[in-house]
Amino acid sequence: MRKFWVIFVASILILLPFLCNSFSPDNPTDRRVLVLLDDFAIKSSHSSYFNSLKSRGFDLDFKLADDPKIALQRYGQYLYDALILFCPSIERFGGSIDVAAIIDFVDSGHDLVIAADVNASDLIRDVATECGVDFDEDPSAMVIDHTGYSVSETEGDHTLIASDDFIKSDVILGSKKITAPVLFQGIGHSLNPVNSLVLKVLSASPSAYSANPKSKLSTPPSLTGSAISLVSVVQARNNARILISGSLSMFSNRFFRSGVQKAGSTTKHEKSGNEQFLTELSKWVFHERGHLKAVNVKHHKVGETNEPALYRINDELVYSVEVYEWSGSSWEPYVADDVQVQFYMMSPYVLKTLSNDKKGLYSASFKVPDVYGVFQFKVEYQKLGYTSLSLAKQIPVRPYRHNEYERFIPTAYPYYGAAFSTMAGFFIFSFVHLYNK
Amino acid sequence: MGRASSKEDAGALFHSLRSAYAATPLNLKIIDLYVGFSIFTALIQVVYMAIVGSFPFNSFLSGVLSCVGTAVLAVCLRIQVNKENKEFKDLPPERAFADFVLCNLVLHLVIMNFLG
Repeated sequence: MRKFWVIFVASILILLPFLCNSFSPDNPTDRRVLVLLDDFAIKSSHSSYFNSLKSRGFDLDFKLADDPKIALQRYGQYLYDALILFCPSIERFGGSIDVAAIIDFVDSGHDLVIAADVNASDLIRDVATECGVDFDEDPSAMVIDHTGYSVSETEGDHTLIASDDFIKSDVILGSKKITAPVLFQGIGHSLNPVNSLVLKVLSASPSAYSANPKSKLSTPPSLTGSAISLVSVVQARNNARILISGSLSMFSNRFFRSGVQKAGSTTKHEKSGNEQFLTELSKWVFHERGHLKAVNVKHHKVGETNEPALYRINDELVYSVEVYEWSGSSWEPYVADDVQVQFYMMSPYVLKTLSNDKKGLYSASFKVPDVYGVFQFKVEYQKLGYTSLSLAKQIPVRPYRHNEYERFIPTAYPYYGAAFSTMAGFFIFSFVHLYNK
Repeated sequence: MGRASSKEDAGALFHSLRSAYAATPLNLKIIDLYVGFSIFTALIQVVYMAIVGSFPFNSFLSGVLSCVGTAVLAVCLRIQVNKENKEFKDLPPERAFADFVLCNLVLHLVIMNFLG
């Protein structure tokens, strides 16, 4: 009996490496997601959102945020591909997770979703600040909008706002337009305008401000208007994606199902835009959309197929690269008309837009400039919402060899003629001189 | 009076030069003709360079040097062959001509090389 158990356990252990599947360069969509909650009531009150993730094939692992057994990595390997923090009031994470561990997790290319709420803890604020987003310093401040609030039967304090100020990007929000406004109730944050990696996905209307709804305003609020971002995303330089939202209740079933009517407009929508907005956004954050890869960089002289080790000045060459976009299940050809290649040595000598054949093959042909040195074929592609492509291939360029110049220079023909006529003249003269009597 | 006489003098000088030149032997006149031809070729090249610019400068130098060099050698030949010249009385004219041919060969070798 004991031997049987030993064999059983040993066989399971051997099969374990094949059972774990994570995201890899061939399959960039995340698979295993750790969800940290304040309490398990959130699991049921936000079940719509979690079910939509599960139905797309994600492996959700629900844990309490102060559970002492949670860990992001074990023996140097990460156990999860993405992390969802639905724990706005946690003071200290359990187990081996802390701000540094979360930042390392993101730095190694994994994705992160953070939902804060009113009275968010300093820990959550710290994580958000590390990601480039600054929540309002007042812990009990909420976003209040007296002209963009959501109309309801009770006269509330206008903290439940309906916003339809979305970022204009089909990659991030999907191609179908979100018609209904999105309900939001929580804290706002601001972005540093110098930071080019963080984007405002849902902004507040110009009449919104961030203040404590229960107390009178003593000083003008620091965060006002469209500078308040309700939901932001960050795409890091290693293509990790972070979603930061100021409201946890935005993800809840109640908000998903409720109708919405924005104050000041007469249209009453049956269903708020929350579900569509957050589902499409989660597709983007977990790399189901907008993930590019560039393969097969090739260059050769026009008319040849082999790749030379170096080019000569004034050569005609052709550069080609294949770019694919991940569709969630397979690599599809990426079609765009703004991918450019540079022929670069300290500054781009040639900058050409690559033309594509609709099957993902981008190519351009140009003449090598009249400068010799070591150049690079550089493709630096950064488009809103897409992963950044950064390719560089070094290639030397040599000057003409001494026998590659033109043999006879046309402007020098008179001199050639003069030299030969002098020789002929000398020849004739010598005959005449000798035979002259 | 002075101006008229200078004009008359110029005219008389020109006529005397012409008549003296007519008396030179034929072979010397042939050498003079050859020198004139090569200097004329050199002048054409200089005018051409002034118009077009000196791009293949080595070709220009080579062309002009061939003309000027062969003119200089022809002048040397004329000096050595001229019977009125007391200095080269004992030099056989064949020796002078052989020198002329040899030097011209070297000259043309050099300019062919420098012509590019």
